[in-house]
Amino acid sequence: MALTGTEGDIINSVARLRQATKDQIRRQVGFSLDYIGFLCRDLLRRGYLSFSDGHYFLAKNGIKTLLEEETSKVDRKLLKEIAGEVAKEISGELKKTVKGIKVPIAISQIRKEEEDREQIKIKTDFELPVEDETLALESNINKIGANLEKEKSDIDRSIELFKKFRKGGKR
Amino acid sequence: MKKAKKEEEAIQALKGELQKGKGVDIGTMFVKCAQKEGDEIIFRSQRNAFFEVEHSDFTKKILDNSKVKYIIKEDKLYVVGDEALQFANMFNKETRRPLSRGVISPTEKEALSMVELLIKSVVGQPSYKGEIVYFSVPGDPLDADFNVLYHIKMVEGFLKTLGYTPKSINEGHAIILSELAEEDFTGFGLSFGGGMVNVCLSFMSVPVLKFSVAKAGDWIDQQVAMAVDETASRVSAIKESTLDLNKVDGLSKAESALSIYYNHLIEYVIENIKQEFTKARRLPRITKPISIILSGGTSLPKGFSDRFRQILDRLKLPVPVGSVRMASQPLRSVAKGALVAASADESKK
Repeated sequence: MALTGTEGDIINSVARLRQATKDQIRRQVGFSLDYIGFLCRDLLRRGYLSFSDGHYFLAKNGIKTLLEEETSKVDRKLLKEIAGEVAKEISGELKKTVKGIKVPIAISQIRKEEEDREQIKIKTDFELPVEDETLALESNINKIGANLEKEKSDIDRSIELFKKFRKGGKR
Repeated sequence: MKKAKKEEEAIQALKGELQKGKGVDIGTMFVKCAQKEGDEIIFRSQRNAFFEVEHSDFTKKILDNSKVKYIIKEDKLYVVGDEALQFANMFNKETRRPLSRGVISPTEKEALSMVELLIKSVVGQPSYKGEIVYFSVPGDPLDADFNVLYHIKMVEGFLKTLGYTPKSINEGHAIILSELAEEDFTGFGLSFGGGMVNVCLSFMSVPVLKFSVAKAGDWIDQQVAMAVDETASRVSAIKESTLDLNKVDGLSKAESALSIYYNHLIEYVIENIKQEFTKARRLPRITKPISIILSGGTSLPKGFSDRFRQILDRLKLPVPVGSVRMASQPLRSVAKGALVAASADESKK
């Protein structure tokens, strides 16, 4: 059986408060205490709410209703707020209990984020004026010279072929 | 037919004269410049190492007489080049290096002036103002938290100061230009240098995958040195002179350790290639087996390519691999490939 508008409001209210007395729900939803008590008992019977220690909580069907996309009666904004709060709380707890241990993020998530991030291409160029520091040095390197080797050249064909490829041609 | 004739004419026109354009390999171990002169390629090189010795007129005179290269900066005297390694071994100390992990060393205060001097001594003056020079640069490292931009800009700025038009080329890509013309510049170029291993996959001359790892020859030297209680310079000397990776019996302690760390390095590189393949979003479909060219000083020990092939057969790449071979001249291929790019640019002018 689908939820009525007021029943939906009760679910929202309990979700917001996380645990609520009949009076707290009444203040949020309106109507008489008896009527709210009647609706809550009915929701309890149908598995939307649970009851303990004078307080109502969301039960399995109540949570399911909140998660269902098509339920127009549920306040999605509220759901997001609650989810955010719960996430913060869980992360705080984790930090306390597993201090120093990094909570791993799924690799697939990292990859997706990397893919989504657009590569920034640097378009400017900085011309660096570099001084010839060798002018301040005393050396016999030029007098002795570098080590010299020779080989028969076989690169002419490579040069021609490379030019062709760069022009976009083929062999 | 006509096309082939035209191509032959263009090649003939390139012969017999000092040609414009230079290619420079700026590596952690060597700085090498290639230039074409007639039918030959001339390579000028300097070892990228120095060692401080006591500064006195007497030492200076001895070094001059023995033709040992040196640099004097302020009141310090540094032996430079191959002899720096010999001096370091003699004193049981380490050489100092202006480049570390493929880029200008951030911790060596003399790095910049030393690199500039070595570059200047191999490239010389441009044959005309604005001559094109391609210089090799490492790919961004996968396993180290640094960027190569500063290094590139400093070298570029200095070459400009000398009067060149500098352009950078990835080290692995340069190997492909030097060695893979017959295969339409399609394949892998792997440069096992001192500070880095550079990897480039090129398809029809276009680099499609390039990166570096900051474990290479120096890393092997350091690990072996720690394992067998030697200096890294001495380990490097063993590595460069007697190491044979095919040998399994009668290995010395240092040789055994070198063999172990070579294995580790090769596997590390292959696993990184595999990982980059899975990460790459756009790769050409390669159906024909492609070649892998091995190059660089760390690839020089006998048996290196066999060891590489053995490990590759076990680990397998996600593309079909054809031949795995050494570059025709492993210490020259980067400079030669950079020269191919420079000459192509110059002949377009």
